[in-house]
Amino acid sequence: MTSVAVEQRTPRRNTLAAAFAFVRRHVLTVYSLLFFAYLLLPIAVVVVFSFNHPAGKFNYVWQGFTWNNWLHWDGVPGIRSAIILSLEIALFASIVATALGTAIALALVRYGFRGRGTTNILIFLPLSTPEIVLGASLLTLFLNLNVIFGFWTILIAHIMFCISFAVVTVKARLVGFDRHLEEAAMDLGANEWTTFRKVTLPLIGPAILAALLLCFAISIDDFVVTYFNSGSKVTFPLFVWGAARIGAPPQVNVIGTAIFVIALAAMLANVLFQMRRAKGAS
Amino acid sequence: MGFFHRHRGLTPYLLLAPGILWLAVFFLVPLGFLAYQSLQSGNIDFGYAFTWSWGNYWTAIRDYRDQFIRSLEYAGIATVLALAISYPVAYWIAFRGGRWKNLLLLGIVAPFFVTYLIRTLAWQTILSDDSLVVRTLQNLHLLGANGRLLNTSVAVVAGITYNFLPFMALPLYVSLEQIDGRLIEAAEDLYASKFHAFLRVTLPLSLPGVVAGTLLTFIPAAGDFINAQLLGSPNNHMIGNVIQSKFLELTDYPAAASMSFILMAGILVAVAIYARIVGTEQLTGTAV
Amino acid sequence: MTDQLTRRQLLERAAVGGAAITFPGILAACGGGGTKAAGGTTSVEHKLAKTLHFSNWTYYIDTKGQTNPTLDAFQKKTGVHVDYREDINDNASFFGKLQGQLSRGQSTGRDIIVLTDNDRYLSLMIRKGWAEKLDKSAIPNMKNLVDVQKHPSFDENRDYSLPWQSGMTGIAYNDKLSDPVLSVDELLESPKLKGKVTCLNSMGDALCMVMLANGDDPTKVTDKSFKAAFDRIKKVVDSKQIRAFTGNDYTPILARGDLSAAMSWSGDIAQLGNKHIHWNVPKDGGALWTDNMLIPKGGDVYTASVYMNYVYDPKVQALMEAGDPKRKIVGIYYIPPVKGAKEEALKLDPTVAKNQLIFPSQQTLEKVHLFDNKALNNEKYLTQWQNLISA
Repeated sequence: MTSVAVEQRTPRRNTLAAAFAFVRRHVLTVYSLLFFAYLLLPIAVVVVFSFNHPAGKFNYVWQGFTWNNWLHWDGVPGIRSAIILSLEIALFASIVATALGTAIALALVRYGFRGRGTTNILIFLPLSTPEIVLGASLLTLFLNLNVIFGFWTILIAHIMFCISFAVVTVKARLVGFDRHLEEAAMDLGANEWTTFRKVTLPLIGPAILAALLLCFAISIDDFVVTYFNSGSKVTFPLFVWGAARIGAPPQVNVIGTAIFVIALAAMLANVLFQMRRAKGAS
Repeated sequence: MGFFHRHRGLTPYLLLAPGILWLAVFFLVPLGFLAYQSLQSGNIDFGYAFTWSWGNYWTAIRDYRDQFIRSLEYAGIATVLALAISYPVAYWIAFRGGRWKNLLLLGIVAPFFVTYLIRTLAWQTILSDDSLVVRTLQNLHLLGANGRLLNTSVAVVAGITYNFLPFMALPLYVSLEQIDGRLIEAAEDLYASKFHAFLRVTLPLSLPGVVAGTLLTFIPAAGDFINAQLLGSPNNHMIGNVIQSKFLELTDYPAAASMSFILMAGILVAVAIYARIVGTEQLTGTAV
Repeated sequence: MTDQLTRRQLLERAAVGGAAITFPGILAACGGGGTKAAGGTTSVEHKLAKTLHFSNWTYYIDTKGQTNPTLDAFQKKTGVHVDYREDINDNASFFGKLQGQLSRGQSTGRDIIVLTDNDRYLSLMIRKGWAEKLDKSAIPNMKNLVDVQKHPSFDENRDYSLPWQSGMTGIAYNDKLSDPVLSVDELLESPKLKGKVTCLNSMGDALCMVMLANGDDPTKVTDKSFKAAFDRIKKVVDSKQIRAFTGNDYTPILARGDLSAAMSWSGDIAQLGNKHIHWNVPKDGGALWTDNMLIPKGGDVYTASVYMNYVYDPKVQALMEAGDPKRKIVGIYYIPPVKGAKEEALKLDPTVAKNQLIFPSQQTLEKVHLFDNKALNNEKYLTQWQNLISA
């Protein structure tokens, strides 16, 4: 963005104003760093306790340092299949929900059609339904259809409740979207699809990414609806809840930390890669 | 313009179809079952029968009015807090993030890849009665000598706020990021102070994000139960807890169902009032 | 085990379930009506299934690394593979998940499930005919069942259920924060413990303990004794003596030192491994609960019964219970319901065999009681209790 241009506006020849400007510029950064510190504080505790060597079965009090938990990260029966299932579901659910949600958002913002108001209400309803009755009612549907419970029922459920989040997130971008760029593209001879692909999509890219991330986070952390519709499959949150009854083993912390770190590392790699590509291009 | 205008009528429906169909089958139909259930009466021993039992709704409001109101309160406070806390950060990432935007965005969401239970357990460790945090607050007399942070309403609201931060921050970012910096420049060219430029240009343009974030936070938060269960004490439970207990412990499915509909109605009313205030176009989007 | 539930096994399970779905499923009403599942008067065929689907609570069986030795031994002995899933964490939610299928007469895909007797769901399932009758001809080892468990009020002749493990409810306290808390009276009313105490959210545990402290009989609850106990708890909730009502989530709070004392279950404390936390049966008595095995409707009766028989062999039970330090097998450490298990356990791990929490003496057992089953199903009591803990 053109934030650089904004920054270079020199304050009017007053050292006090210069000082204020300095503080003001950095206050935001300091605040944001504090925000991330606050956000990551419990994660830091989780990471620390992943190295704990608990005496009994409970991992609540620091006892001593050990690499064991990391070395034997899947030493607890069931933990590996649980996390793999959760990751699979989260990946597919976020992609499908974002795709469906983006389409709905486009329709809602750009077209006048009969039933717009109803559609809007329909989008808000899943958000407002308490999870337990949502999960149980979906279970009722599945029972009446005599389906097998497992991966597919969980996936269907996750896509269902993620769509609304995707719609609202992408809509925030589309409302106030400058149509002139698209009109310009079409004036220059591009057709619908090309305009969409080359102009619209990149411009709403951040919103799509945000929707994907949000849906992924919701899906990987969902408990109640999953519980009712999972049959005997166990996802990571279900596993943790079950294990916590007797004391979640440190391996749970290990896996949580690992996902967190791997996700960030992957994104970091992507960013650095883009930076190198940009440098190479210039 | 070819295909676009000739088939204009069809396009929105094509776009809507897959998603709406999905919701229709996997949400509306279950909702129908729920509605049917809400008008049933009976118990697990002798079975449930459909008896147009509108009394379920009345009983729910009469008996649990406090919890309904409390839920809307807690959700409202948490939403305002989340907005206040997240807005500056979303702004910072949008305008100062540069190449690191995506990484920072992921940074907001990544903590939530670590399961809720483990995160909350960590918070309980950080805020335990004997912790640095609590002792400092006691020394500063912000907390009574025997005061605690856990198992209080403060903990519940704090828990809800924390757990919904990404739902507020991400939509805010999405809206802020699209603001053209040149508009702000132009405002300042016209002698507006930085603050004024923010107030008159940035804030209004970020309103769609504010609305989106508010909705994605307030609506699910109102039905939340887990924060109250783990961080609360017996007298600050939310309606989500009651619905949970009606369903699981009391196997009173009609009651759980009717209470859910009342909650949804309450939320829709709150949202409608909110839409009035911010202007409905923000909510529903305009067709330009 | 959950690790090995492949798509093939899922289909296999569906095939088993499918056979049960078609016939009673047609009869079932839509939308959760309480139809009684078709009764099984046909005699049980003595044919072992290829797989036994066993749903249990977490960490409730012997383990050695990633395996469960007694399950592996069972497979070796009978050729039946046990598909063991730890998907039960809570009676209420597990029942909530299964009731849809049960009320429609559909198979739940499970042959054995485990529910607690001081909650309503065990007796509810038996009453509604949602449990299959055991094939007692396949369970000669049932004679090893301890006498006190032979005729429970919810299943007079043990036609439907067999105990898995028992446990006791008592008081745990942290000796760094408090003098010994040995009675419910102290727990509820000692001003030194204000705000540093939790109570269990299960009616069967909490009311049992308080009734005993009131001098009433928890095995025969009356409106009067219920009210006395309930009011007493309500008073201390209002006075903020009780910090929170918990399920098993009191353990981290206790371990952290945010609690001086807690109403708690015996097994949890044994596993906490913290020498400052002590557990005892209160002086007026505590609660006894037993997790029971049940065959949900549609489950394979013969195979399940054969497994139950296997588990009631004192040698097997001892191994499950105490484990074997020599072979690195970790036991369950709750209270076994099988006669002769203690003697066998002495051979495996004498420390465990002598542990009062795992093999309690007759004296200790006389001080713990099972809550009145009828009260557990009383809607009035239940609603009042839920309103109290979820206010």
